[in-house]
Amino acid sequence: MTVPLEDLASNPFFVLGLTPAASPLELERQGQKLLAMLQVGLEAATSYPTPFGDHPRTAEAVRQALATLRDPARRHEAEVWFDLPAPSPPPRQAPRWTDLRERLGWR
Amino acid sequence: MGDGPRYLGIDLGTTNSAAAVFDGHEVTTVRNRDGALLTPSVVHLDRKGRQLVGARAYRRLEKDPDNAHGGFKRLMGTDSTLAFPAADTVRSPVQLSTAILEALRQDVADALGFMPETAVISVPALFELPQTRATAEAAEAAGFTKVELIQEPVASALAAGWRADDEEPGPWLVFDLGGGTFDASLLETRDGLLRVVGHDGDNFLGGRDIDRAIVDWALQQLADDGTPIDRTDPAHAAALRRLLTAAEEAKIELSRRQEAELTVFDLFDGPDGPIDVDLALDRTTLDALAKPLVERSLKVCRALLTAHGLTPPDLRRIVLVGGPTVMPAVRERVAEALGAPLAQGHDPMTLVSRGAALYAANAALDARPTTDAPNPQDVRRLWLQYPTLSSDLFPHVAGRLLDGSGPAPKAVRFAREAWSSEWCELGPDGGLVVMLELEAGAANTFAIEARDAHEAPVAVHPSSITVVQGISLADPPLSRTIGVALASDQVQVYLERGTPLPAKRTFTHHTIQSLPQGSEGALLTIPIVQGELERASHCRLVGRIEIGGEALPHALPSGSAVEVTLEVDRGGRLQAQAMVPALDVMFEQVAHLMAPDASPDRLRGQLTTLLTRLSAVRSTAGRRGDTTTIDRLYDIEWSLQDAALALDAALGGDDDAAQRARRTLIDADATLDGLEQAQSWPQLDQEAMLEIAGTGRWVEELGTQQERQIYSEVATAAQQARQARNGSALQRQLRVLRDLKTAAYFRHPQAWTWAFERAASHAHQCTDVPRAQQLVAEGRSANERGDQDTLKHVVRGLWQLMPAPVQAEAGAFQSGVR
Repeated sequence: MTVPLEDLASNPFFVLGLTPAASPLELERQGQKLLAMLQVGLEAATSYPTPFGDHPRTAEAVRQALATLRDPARRHEAEVWFDLPAPSPPPRQAPRWTDLRERLGWR
Repeated sequence: MGDGPRYLGIDLGTTNSAAAVFDGHEVTTVRNRDGALLTPSVVHLDRKGRQLVGARAYRRLEKDPDNAHGGFKRLMGTDSTLAFPAADTVRSPVQLSTAILEALRQDVADALGFMPETAVISVPALFELPQTRATAEAAEAAGFTKVELIQEPVASALAAGWRADDEEPGPWLVFDLGGGTFDASLLETRDGLLRVVGHDGDNFLGGRDIDRAIVDWALQQLADDGTPIDRTDPAHAAALRRLLTAAEEAKIELSRRQEAELTVFDLFDGPDGPIDVDLALDRTTLDALAKPLVERSLKVCRALLTAHGLTPPDLRRIVLVGGPTVMPAVRERVAEALGAPLAQGHDPMTLVSRGAALYAANAALDARPTTDAPNPQDVRRLWLQYPTLSSDLFPHVAGRLLDGSGPAPKAVRFAREAWSSEWCELGPDGGLVVMLELEAGAANTFAIEARDAHEAPVAVHPSSITVVQGISLADPPLSRTIGVALASDQVQVYLERGTPLPAKRTFTHHTIQSLPQGSEGALLTIPIVQGELERASHCRLVGRIEIGGEALPHALPSGSAVEVTLEVDRGGRLQAQAMVPALDVMFEQVAHLMAPDASPDRLRGQLTTLLTRLSAVRSTAGRRGDTTTIDRLYDIEWSLQDAALALDAALGGDDDAAQRARRTLIDADATLDGLEQAQSWPQLDQEAMLEIAGTGRWVEELGTQQERQIYSEVATAAQQARQARNGSALQRQLRVLRDLKTAAYFRHPQAWTWAFERAASHAHQCTDVPRAQQLVAEGRSANERGDQDTLKHVVRGLWQLMPAPVQAEAGAFQSGVR
């Protein structure tokens, strides 16, 4: 499980500022550019926009994003999460226990 | 070579060391003062303390074995010392490695005409943190002002894959069997970028183990002839070292011939005068002796492939590295067992140093002395960041104009022969980002041109940069998971295996007992461990952050927060920091990085305990007719016998054998633990069934959409683990299920009230009972008022005061945090 439960904003595509349409070469080029910009402290690289608001961008996050997207299976997972809508607020009610016995395997 | 940058790479090997230099075009292996490409990693001290290094010292191994030592790389990071009785002194492994590095540095200076200031030094991929740190210390002591470390298999891969862009895509394997260590790395090259997919290895498997097997064979031959040598007797230690040297020479000779003589005159004084050894060793015998070790290395390779969903036929090729891979039997067996062609045209002895030199370019470590020429007053400085080695034909350079007194440029461009970038206007913060265009497979030097608002030229420093186009390296992955051992004997994972380096992470822990101010002996210990095993005590302890009572400005109550930060650089070096917010004090560089104590007596005790546990598991397996477990117990028993033999050698003064025994015992402990867990399967299975059902109910009612989706995946994985009776996989899934349940549970309006009642019922067991009682009173009042925020605060406070299970605490390296 590489996508944190409530932190879809750390999706590697958001971190790099690209979409799942980006080729591996484009991802590497963008990652190298962002790392260089962060190293010299350019303001433009220090945050990234997401559907959940702006987030701070660090060199560690860029490296982690690149490592994730280099792995085909993990990239696929990131593509799936990229397209998911924002989470809805949870219901505020107690669980019902009507079928607990069945779920525990008792008949 | 031209006048451009020079990049130095050093392979600091167990048996031999080598240096190579990359000038942006070609990599050249540097010859030493004897004209050889390899320098034996051996140091000799005579009675006046005069030091010999390399081939000259190697020759003394035979004549003066007490005062010549090799193989000390395997002791790096331990507190062992090696004695030189003639000079009446001892040297640490770091000091001996320093001597080798000083000699190599001088050889490079003779070749290049200047003393190199920086270098990249290779270390085995599975070197633990203490060993890595010791290597860096040796380099600094040898006079290098800046050093980066690279994992040996990554260096080999870089050298083997350099400009091999016409290769078919697909994974390939570097099989690196060195003098003392074995590394297997799975790599992939795509679009000129070399990626380490994964690696594994054995820090205590190498050519020297083959030498030892030959010595064991020779000792058996001598015993059969009525000349027994007791390897536990320190009086025979020098004789055994001479025999080891002779065994190594015979092994090397057998790579070219069918038979070799193993001859040592005057090995030691027997009752009837000096004993000579004169044995004939043939290649068939050698191959038989080496076979178990080669099979061990192949087992590591197969496990690595399986871990990445691959089988041997998927491999495109295998690169062999290290002296033992010159043995025909090793080459044939590896090619046959892994079913992939061996890469041709690489020297297995110098490949690592060549790769290290290429990596130095990747890391922009120019070895030339830095010039202190003052920056002219009217020249403005640019701070530029760019890849010195790039697989991409269009890399970016980012930069910023630094403060200064000269005329400020308004725009900058980069130009090389036949190409120039557009003019790039500097941003309000003086920033610039320019895309370069490289000529493929060449060193590209760009002149940096700058102009002011009136388009008049302005001088800037630097005036040029060089980017080499070729294969480059993705961020190296961390080889072993790093974390902090908790008092519960669990591990708080900081950086998982495979995390791209460099990496840094911070977590907050809480102390489990009070630490009085000013009291000597009172110590808060935060153990740092490496490994992927469930229990902290099964992982390797690689360091400790220790905060003594005398360092505190005032007492630290139980449950105090401690923010721990662990940071690992690209070469695997660890920095640790502990911040105590209540005291506003930062404890830096407090990690005492030493390989753990491996005294033979302590290890013998562990061995006895393991044998008792093994017997209990076997007895249960026998009653149940569980033949699978009984088969696995044979493997453990075999490794315990190996550990017992190593312990015998340790008693004879062989520190290396003691470390080997330590590792073997830890591995056996972990495997036995897995089997013990498997025997308690019925309880785990029952627990899992209840957890799957219970979590499903909570997540369905109170979970988010994502949590429900994750629950569905995890529940399926847990059911699969139940069907496969895979205990460790099931434990992993159970942890995720519990996390999901907890997240959903705390969305229930009554959750904090229930949690408070539960915590309050245990208040009498807290480590600070008066404080706990105070919290309970606060909690009751908050509950009556319906003040949820205070209630949360109270519950968390009570949790922090709960005692850790005493038994677990003892096993978790005396961890003082939860």
